[in-house]
Amino acid sequence: MQLEKFTYDNKIVRNFGIATLVWGIVGMTVGLLAAMQLFKPAMNLGNQYTTFGRIRPLHTNAVIFAFVGNAIFMGVYYSLQRLLKARMFSDLLSKIHFWGWQLIIVAAAITLPLGITTSHEYAELEWPIDIAITVIWVVFGVNMFGTIIKRRERHLYVAIWFYIATFVTIAVLHIVNSFELPISFLKSYYVYAGVQDALVQWWYGHNAVAFFLTTPYLGMMYYFLPKMANRPVYSYKLSILHFWSLIFIYIWAGPHHLLYTSLPGWAQSLGVAFSIMLIAPSWGGMINGLLTLRGAWDKVREDVTLKFMVVALTAYGMATFEGPMLSLKQINGIAHFTDWIVAHVHVGALGWNGFLTFGVLYWLIPRIYKTQLYSKKLAGFHFWIGTLGILFYAVPMYWAGFTQGLMWKEFTPEGLLKYPNFLATTLQIIPMHVLRSIGGALYLAGVIAMTYNLAKTMRGAKLVANEPAEAMPLSKEIVDSSSADKAWHRVLERKPMKFMVLSLIIILIGGMVEMMPTFTIKSNVPTIASVKPYSALELQGRDLYIREGCVSCHSQTVRPFRSETERYGEYSKAGEFVYDHPFLWGSKRTGPDLHRVGGKYSDAWHYNHLIDPTSMSPGSIMPSYPWLTEQKLDISTTASKIKAMQTLGVPYAEGYDKKANDELMVQAEKISAELKQNNINVKSDREIIAIIAYLQRLGTDIKANKQEIPSNQ
Amino acid sequence: MFNQIKNLAGGEIYLISSLLMFMVFFLIVGVYLIKLSKKHVEIMSNMPIQENQTEAHEED
Repeated sequence: MQLEKFTYDNKIVRNFGIATLVWGIVGMTVGLLAAMQLFKPAMNLGNQYTTFGRIRPLHTNAVIFAFVGNAIFMGVYYSLQRLLKARMFSDLLSKIHFWGWQLIIVAAAITLPLGITTSHEYAELEWPIDIAITVIWVVFGVNMFGTIIKRRERHLYVAIWFYIATFVTIAVLHIVNSFELPISFLKSYYVYAGVQDALVQWWYGHNAVAFFLTTPYLGMMYYFLPKMANRPVYSYKLSILHFWSLIFIYIWAGPHHLLYTSLPGWAQSLGVAFSIMLIAPSWGGMINGLLTLRGAWDKVREDVTLKFMVVALTAYGMATFEGPMLSLKQINGIAHFTDWIVAHVHVGALGWNGFLTFGVLYWLIPRIYKTQLYSKKLAGFHFWIGTLGILFYAVPMYWAGFTQGLMWKEFTPEGLLKYPNFLATTLQIIPMHVLRSIGGALYLAGVIAMTYNLAKTMRGAKLVANEPAEAMPLSKEIVDSSSADKAWHRVLERKPMKFMVLSLIIILIGGMVEMMPTFTIKSNVPTIASVKPYSALELQGRDLYIREGCVSCHSQTVRPFRSETERYGEYSKAGEFVYDHPFLWGSKRTGPDLHRVGGKYSDAWHYNHLIDPTSMSPGSIMPSYPWLTEQKLDISTTASKIKAMQTLGVPYAEGYDKKANDELMVQAEKISAELKQNNINVKSDREIIAIIAYLQRLGTDIKANKQEIPSNQ
Repeated sequence: MFNQIKNLAGGEIYLISSLLMFMVFFLIVGVYLIKLSKKHVEIMSNMPIQENQTEAHEED
């Protein structure tokens, strides 16, 4: 056999690297803006495109899919070629992948501030962009598997298994969580409703963390850490065990995001049990990473890339220990909806994803430019300011979380809520939010320093766009010399397609066991006779609620705690959400829960509160929404919305779509007249009327026949 | 403080069966790992740091 000469494509790696840097700065800057909005409402900048509700999804999407996404592709394209001793399958596919992904990011950056959102967290992008994501993801998959097929290395190293699992699982998650019925070019309704929608969303949300923020990064860790330390991974066997356990267990844990909600109890219990078990494979990965450095800790002292890796692994270990703890019901009862969760995810995001990305960038860029890093000193500065940034971010957020979670639950000796006004608990933690944004600013300063450092490195040298390499081709025939060679995993390591199918089956098990009964067994979502579909005006109002991103700060699910039933009213039942496409339970209470807000205040209160929140709640940090009185409600969409809801099984009367707008105007006139009595003159065709109608309807249906409410708690 | 929790879903059977399911899965992977040959493990784990060699892959 002849030694084959070929080249590695470094240009695509460099391009993804630059995209990582650029989107990292953009995403983190938007995050810093959102953080400041939480203590200084003026930072909402007085226009609808930059309010917190629209900026927050922009931040999460930018850092997850733009910053981390590009970093994943950078790491995969670099390591895959070298581990397989082959150039990427197709330069054209690489290019389409790169530019397609950047276009999707741009589309997100335009649509989210415009309020075009599905409201599913980390899946906010509307259906045309969802389709684009699917296409580009397939391009990535074809490129990866094409490379695997033309490889010159028989066995697939553990990093590649993680890449394959990432590809397969993200495809499944994205497709299942994007079943939307379009009503126009940029508006759709999820086919799932209420509890079922919540289960699908958090199965997706949790596993986006698992298979976008974790498995590809573990793959990168298994490749780059041994490279940086110049020693093999501590235990290859542990990596096999931890890989299969991780992908098997992770997929079950989604319901821990829905504890104490009206999700069936058995599904919640499964979510908790698997979350606890998740400690084992997660720590397996962390220990394997840290022990790879055994005997090489002297290198850590000198090598900044290894410093970043050590902090990344430590943060991974902390976050993956904390996650299971947070999924214990007792702890979750306090932590959920508070800043504790924000602290938890940022330990993972800033520490694990951020620092690992920085480590890889500092290692990889000088190598593909065949040069030295411009300034080691500046990289050292980045390490320390970044670490300090994480501490300044996380510690105040933990403090804020504990404080608020406990304040919500505190009773006086007489048995009354000690802080009946929700706002008191928000104002208490404002100083913590100020400190948090200082932490964020420090972290961002580090990223800017890194970008300068790497830009200087790149400008001072020339990219080795096509790096020459040589390897023996694979022989077609495989002679099995020993029976051990037939062991299933060794066979799998040579058969990428079978490997992919097996991974697929394993990740499907958990999702199927949890979703199928919830979708098919009626008793899991008991219906309530008095719960009726929204009126046309309320439905329009609900879509405005979605557009403004109210769900970012207000939950719509009252948990069965005395502290919550005292504060908000009757706890939420599964049957109340059967017409909610999508569900709007939320995951954070920066403001109070709104599920029982209907009828609690007058229309005039809501009007004044939306125009100037501080007029009704002095000190409130909610943004003002003056444009709701200026903008006319678009009623041209009413008929198509009603028809879409009918298709999805919402029992509107036959032909209701034709008379819906007449009824809408009657209801709007009524609200407008009511406001007039309170000396508020607003035309009935304004958006604010619809949103008031929706808020006044929330959670009121079950009050009609309290005796007949089934309990599924 | 925890007395405020009104009711806990009695899902013990799900907890036990999920633990069992994982144990079985874990044991299958465990048995395989014990049977794995040392030579293979060594070659696999050296893969990232020996990629410059032209003939690093295992002789079958």
